[in-house]
Amino acid sequence: MVDAFSAVFQRPNFLAFVLIFLWGFYIMVTRYNLIKKLIGLYLVQTSVIYFLVSISAKEGATVPILLSTTEPVQAASYANPLPHVLTLTAIVVGIATTSVGLALCAAIYRKYGSLDEQVILERLE
Amino acid sequence: MSHQLPVILFLLPLFAAISMPVVCLKHRHWCQPISVAILAAMVLVSILNLHNIIHHGEVRYVFSGWAVPLGIEWVADGLASVTLVLLSGLGLLGVVFAGRTSPKALAGRIVHYYTLILLLVSALTGIVFTRDLFNLFVFLEVAAISSYALVGVAGGRALFAAFRYLVLGTLGASLYLLGVSYLYAVTGTLNMADMVDRLPFLLHSKALVGGLLFMFMGLGIKMALVPFHAWLPESYTYAPESISPILASLVTKVALLAWVKIVYWVLNVPVVIFGVPVLLLVAVLGALAAVIGASLALAQRDIKMMFAYGGISHIGIILIGIGQGNQTGFAGGVFYLLNDAVMQAGLFFLAGVASCHYGVKTIDDIGRVRKQAPWLTVSLIVLALGMIGLPPTGGFFGKWYIILGALEAGSYVSVAAVVLSTLLTLAYFVKLFEAIFRQSSTGLDVQYGEIPLPFKLALGVTSATIMILGLFSSPIVQMLLNHALPPGL
Repeated sequence: MVDAFSAVFQRPNFLAFVLIFLWGFYIMVTRYNLIKKLIGLYLVQTSVIYFLVSISAKEGATVPILLSTTEPVQAASYANPLPHVLTLTAIVVGIATTSVGLALCAAIYRKYGSLDEQVILERLE
Repeated sequence: MSHQLPVILFLLPLFAAISMPVVCLKHRHWCQPISVAILAAMVLVSILNLHNIIHHGEVRYVFSGWAVPLGIEWVADGLASVTLVLLSGLGLLGVVFAGRTSPKALAGRIVHYYTLILLLVSALTGIVFTRDLFNLFVFLEVAAISSYALVGVAGGRALFAAFRYLVLGTLGASLYLLGVSYLYAVTGTLNMADMVDRLPFLLHSKALVGGLLFMFMGLGIKMALVPFHAWLPESYTYAPESISPILASLVTKVALLAWVKIVYWVLNVPVVIFGVPVLLLVAVLGALAAVIGASLALAQRDIKMMFAYGGISHIGIILIGIGQGNQTGFAGGVFYLLNDAVMQAGLFFLAGVASCHYGVKTIDDIGRVRKQAPWLTVSLIVLALGMIGLPPTGGFFGKWYIILGALEAGSYVSVAAVVLSTLLTLAYFVKLFEAIFRQSSTGLDVQYGEIPLPFKLALGVTSATIMILGLFSSPIVQMLLNHALPPGL
């Protein structure tokens, strides 16, 4: 038990990821307001991106640009650039999704005059 | 030249989508003909590509010359090429159909509407060809964002359905991305072929199990596998008439294909992780989906709802075939996937014609217009034969090979699930036909007139294709067995 706890607290980044993910998920499930649902969704997306960045962190490493062209490449002294590139793409995808979601919210508000899921469901009938 | 065909297939709709808002800004009526032309060209190129693959073997394409583990790799193998012929063909039919049914409320935004359809087709092409896990995520999201927008484009009830679809779909995509980052953290690669070599040493890793589980859940939401299917029926029912055939036939099937690629090309079956054979899990979930989807379809009165739940149960049947882990089952599953795509397109074309031309939405109303709707009635009979799985339609032979595969694997539960779901499908079509033929055509005060040519084309081609897939099932399945099987099966 103690081992499990200490294992968790040695990796605060994973703990933070799990907390943000579950927090976002909780908001998505429990809130009726559509904008709040979108905020929860955005938190979920952000937590995954945070996870992707945090696993690529390396102590004492520098930016992945060759320091010298004469010496052989020391892979250990550079940070891995790939997760950051993936993160950039994932952020762009997340922005696109959120903007489509907000556009839908705006259209829903114009049509039903409310952003509350329960009110909208009543007016749908 | 011929090894460039997969990329040409992807770029055709993509460039058309990008240039559409510029070219058609002043000339709205050009949108539909241009889309039809582009997709017709895509059909030709995809047939050429399939011909190439069959005669000269698979094509591996590496982007901008970066060698495999570093660069993004696309592979045009038998499976991808066959799927692409179907994808472009159904896309073409969908756009032909869209000419007469696109929502009137769109007006000037009709340009964006066709842009989104072309973008959707190009993203689906990317999913079919790519062998890079992250690339797959990007295309999944491009396809998904186009679908959300297309579902909600006409406003009305569809807006709320589209919002739900967006929330669930994005959650699915996030879970998939999480799974990919787990696998990347464990293996250090994103290329499927490269990952295959590294996974056998990592089967005891909990991160691998977690990653696969997250990926499966994410793609399960995208393919509307049963516990995650809640977004599908509403968004397909309330989406514009011209959109639901394209979405229903292509989006879920291509997500399923992505999962097939991960199970067979990355995991390299028959893999057992922590005592659970992965394929058994797939087959059991498929069996559940097949039975539950069909039971839910039986409870519907709205025809589109009924067809949407029918589609959910057929996803399950395909998974049963894929999950048997032998050649017959796999070929049967893929053959059924092709069939199901055509049948779903046909069913939603039919529902679209019924609601656009005849103003009919529920099964009780269809009987009213039966006498005046010969095309509707005949194609409904053909589609029903296909959905139930009676010879000589493709649906029969697909189920036949799936059952043969299940018997070969000794999985009698799967056989029982296919048979039960067939019976339930029979039940809901009997309900449909009962409603149609019981009514003695009273109240025929409205004259509907002849249906327009695009409607006839859409209904006729899908019905004919279902028959053709059935009549030529043995050469097609033989071709799948020769060219579309994953390595090591």
